[in-house]
Amino acid sequence: MTHSVKHHPSISLLELYCDGSLNAEVALLVATHLDYCPHCQQLCHDIEADLGGQLAESAAGSSELHATDWLEMMNRITATPQLPKATPAPAPQSLLSIGGYQFELPRALRRIAGHRSKWLSMGGIATARLPSGEPHHASLLFIDKNTDVPLHTHQGLEMTLVLSGEMVDEHGRYVPGDLIINSPDDTHKPRNVSDQPCLCLSVLSAPLQFKEGLTRWLNPLQRFFY
Amino acid sequence: MDLVMTERHHGPEPSTQGTFSLSGSEPVDRALGQWEQALALVALKRDKHAYHELFGYFAPRLRAFGIKMFGNEQQALEMVQDTLLNVWQKAALFDPSRGCASTWIFTIARNVRFDMLRKKQSRKDDISADDLWADGDYPEAEDQQTQKWELWLISEKLAPHFAALPPAQRTVMEKVYLEELSHQEVSDQLGIPLGTVKSRIRLALDRLREALDDSQR
Ligand SMILES: [Zn+2]
Repeated sequence: MTHSVKHHPSISLLELYCDGSLNAEVALLVATHLDYCPHCQQLCHDIEADLGGQLAESAAGSSELHATDWLEMMNRITATPQLPKATPAPAPQSLLSIGGYQFELPRALRRIAGHRSKWLSMGGIATARLPSGEPHHASLLFIDKNTDVPLHTHQGLEMTLVLSGEMVDEHGRYVPGDLIINSPDDTHKPRNVSDQPCLCLSVLSAPLQFKEGLTRWLNPLQRFFY
Repeated sequence: MDLVMTERHHGPEPSTQGTFSLSGSEPVDRALGQWEQALALVALKRDKHAYHELFGYFAPRLRAFGIKMFGNEQQALEMVQDTLLNVWQKAALFDPSRGCASTWIFTIARNVRFDMLRKKQSRKDDISADDLWADGDYPEAEDQQTQKWELWLISEKLAPHFAALPPAQRTVMEKVYLEELSHQEVSDQLGIPLGTVKSRIRLALDRLREALDDSQR
């Protein structure tokens, strides 16, 4: 049984991605979505064609640079050897093991997942940080079958991409490739109600605050998710 | 950054004014496919004359683009040099069936810029442009989507959103839907590749659909 991706990034988000002006963590999330989504692949292809066209159509600008400077740059370049037509080696497929399960990672995450920190586990949930810079945090989030993620709010934007398995929250059901964006005021409670484990990529821009009684005392939880 | 994008110049006629010409020759005629052919010559024969033409056209434009993006000339020139070095060294990797030369060069510049900004702030194991942008991994789909959405244009609901399209997309849409030109005619008239015309139409249609969804919410 396959389900198609229903929750996509907006065109504006795709434009920022194609333009190269998104921060790296959110860009990684969009790139990973593309690995699942032919529709957005096509859109990005079109956006890049549009931007490339704008570059070619643009005015050259007043070139204060001297012709000799350009010539020098060009000669430096053409003095270097050209590379043979070799298709770049695809990142090696590696299986990610967590909670007694194995997951295949999409292309965009293969290299960077090798640089993850060690897993922190609590209940049926585990998380591992990916290399990322302030103020954004990217991490892998594992949710075992029939497991709830404690109710939480966040001060910043929380973006989650389902990589494997499925999740539900108050707003709907999410399958691999689906992108979930929660604004700071959104209190939500994602759950994995299926009998399969769920793996997600999560990007946060500020610490989470937990609302539920018991978990409120578990201060480490906040660190755990951030 | 968004602001820079939307304020970028969208002249319908490609300007050849200020075309940088190293040898003092006349600005080259921008026939369709010229840059694609130049890249093929660079790849197959290390053709310095073809590279010279590419360099002369794109270097000053990339510099202007870089100055908008970085806000300073030093980094802009670093980006120009890295980008055009890649164009020289990796010309064999350019595949015209996946898009036109200007798109390829734009994506190289974008990747170079991304890694430049990134390196400034952090570590080597960090997220890099290579992680994000697969080199030509995705095949180009054909036009089914356009067909489907063309029906929507009949609807007058779309009219008010037409004006809000980015200028480059609006120009193409006006030619196709108001002047009823064919895609090829629009390509000829504006001097942009046919693929770019189709891309802009698909983007505009998707944008209109998004605007329509929002207005009905
Ligand atoms: Zn999508």
